[in-house]
Amino acid sequence: MSTTTTRRPFRLRRKESSERKKWSVGEVIVMIVLAVLVLIVASPVIYALLNSFRSYSEITIDPMGLPTQFTLDNYVQLFQQTDFAEAILNTVIITVGTVVLLVAIVPMAAYGIERVGGGTSRFLYVLFIAGLMIPFQVRMIPLVEGFNQVGLYSTLLSVILVHLGGAASFGILLYCSFIKGIPIEVEEAAHVDGAGRLRTFWSIVFPMLLPVTSAFVIIQALGLWNDFFIPLVFLDSSSAGTINVAINRMVGLLTSQWQLIYTGAILAIIPSIAIFAGFQRYFIKGMSVGAVKG
Amino acid sequence: MSDQSAQVGQSNAVGPGVLLTGERPFEGAPIGSQEEFIAGEDRRKPRRWSRGRLVMLAFVVPALVIYLLMVIVPSLQTVQLSFTNWDGISDGYDYIGIKNYEDILTSGRFWNAVRNTLILGLGSAIIINVIALIVALMLDKLNHAPGLFRTAVYLPALVSAFIMATIWKYLLNFNFGSVNTVLREIGVPDWARDWLGDSSIVIWVILFITCFTLGGNTTLIYLANLQSVPQELVEAARIDGANGWKVFWNVTWPMIAGAVTVNMTLAMIAGWVIFDQILVLTAGGPGFVSETMAFFIYKVGFGEYRAGFGSAAAVVLFLVVIVSTVGTNAYMRKREIQA
Repeated sequence: MSTTTTRRPFRLRRKESSERKKWSVGEVIVMIVLAVLVLIVASPVIYALLNSFRSYSEITIDPMGLPTQFTLDNYVQLFQQTDFAEAILNTVIITVGTVVLLVAIVPMAAYGIERVGGGTSRFLYVLFIAGLMIPFQVRMIPLVEGFNQVGLYSTLLSVILVHLGGAASFGILLYCSFIKGIPIEVEEAAHVDGAGRLRTFWSIVFPMLLPVTSAFVIIQALGLWNDFFIPLVFLDSSSAGTINVAINRMVGLLTSQWQLIYTGAILAIIPSIAIFAGFQRYFIKGMSVGAVKG
Repeated sequence: MSDQSAQVGQSNAVGPGVLLTGERPFEGAPIGSQEEFIAGEDRRKPRRWSRGRLVMLAFVVPALVIYLLMVIVPSLQTVQLSFTNWDGISDGYDYIGIKNYEDILTSGRFWNAVRNTLILGLGSAIIINVIALIVALMLDKLNHAPGLFRTAVYLPALVSAFIMATIWKYLLNFNFGSVNTVLREIGVPDWARDWLGDSSIVIWVILFITCFTLGGNTTLIYLANLQSVPQELVEAARIDGANGWKVFWNVTWPMIAGAVTVNMTLAMIAGWVIFDQILVLTAGGPGFVSETMAFFIYKVGFGEYRAGFGSAAAVVLFLVVIVSTVGTNAYMRKREIQA
């Protein structure tokens, strides 16, 4: 992306112009087209949402009908008949645990890689970035065997560790490109004032990394919450699994109870939307930083 | 599996000790000197392992140990296992040379999985990129409520591939699914069919469903790049008499070439490992018709107890990913400079 680095990241062209509130026919058409596109893409989710308020018989008799009475029975049933509550707890532990550990080790590692300098820097950087091209499927079989041998198979820790390894590459890429732009003089000043390396990092460098950290946290949290494959492989049937694994088991066990599956799907989506809504500003900024600088 | 555990043990030892002191003896340096602080910048000093550099390396160690244990070591073990007849559960196995690779390359089931992976990986990468670019161009034109529309366009991307596929599985159900119900009600009952059970169309149905996810990030990256195209260039082209299409083709398109490279590469990496949709929608069926490479590895390795064979397939998948990623990048970067 070297062609983009020299450009201004954001322009304020529209706010500067005096005729900014003028509506045009073209813009209205664009808005309508966009709205229709969003509706098409969101239609399966809207359908699932509507059906999560309908009973099983209603869904089978009239699949396209609207909810007649607004009942939360499905939500109550989902928690009573399955171990969905435990699955939610597991998903929260995996998501929060992984994100916390990632923020504890990845920015520090990226800082170390950038400041070691010379060939060691380049070697470590390439070693980490190579992981971006190693699909999870490639390391899956030995990992299952390895966790079996050390007795960690089917624990939440195994899922967290696998996620940590997978996310490290992307994290190093993101942080290294950001740290390159931080002037070293500030760190020198802290050093002259008597701060140790660790202190310099956590109290001087890390706060400067907050924009990229928030983007990293959101991207990872969404990915972890939505992940299906890794918990599927590493959590056996004795565990409640994660939300997605639990829903997948319902597909097998309660084949005909679509109303519960729709309900579970909606419950899986709500936290994603909450994470995004809460941090949207940082997220879009972070994506832009990654795209324009990366 | 005794040799495997030995390997894990070994790599555990690649901790601080080996990395920090294994290569050069420790040399103390005066603490507090400014030259020493920025080890990388310091070219006058002959000693390479000053105290400052060792501390910097220590910062890398926790992430490096986890990364080596979780990514690099198991990947190398997969290469090793691909030359064995291991079933995935018993204690021992024999080395059988390249037999697994011969079996894979002569297996019709594997080539069918390769074909499906190509359709889904390349197909979704191209379709998603085209739609995302068009949507980003439209978002870039908006003067009113741009934030609202940007959020609305991104929202569907919050739904995971797994959830989207689960919902679609029921929409496409032959007897009770909404798709067939609607087709029957609007008077074209002949169009109703077993969307996921018909081997001639199933992979295209999965491609359609795949395109419902993944598009949000792509759109955002295009939008960020479009917004950083210098407005002066566009205006200059307009003054020279260029119309909308010409402005796009000669000014905007070259300026966002970098984003196209990034987005195509990311979409392809995601496409080569499509798994969730296959497991949820068809479980590879009917028969083996809708298997992808990622699903093939999972099924063979865990479902059919042929871990050695599955490992060989994983090595092949890795080669496909690395060759296509490096190749696409090299080709598109060249194109960027020309443009």
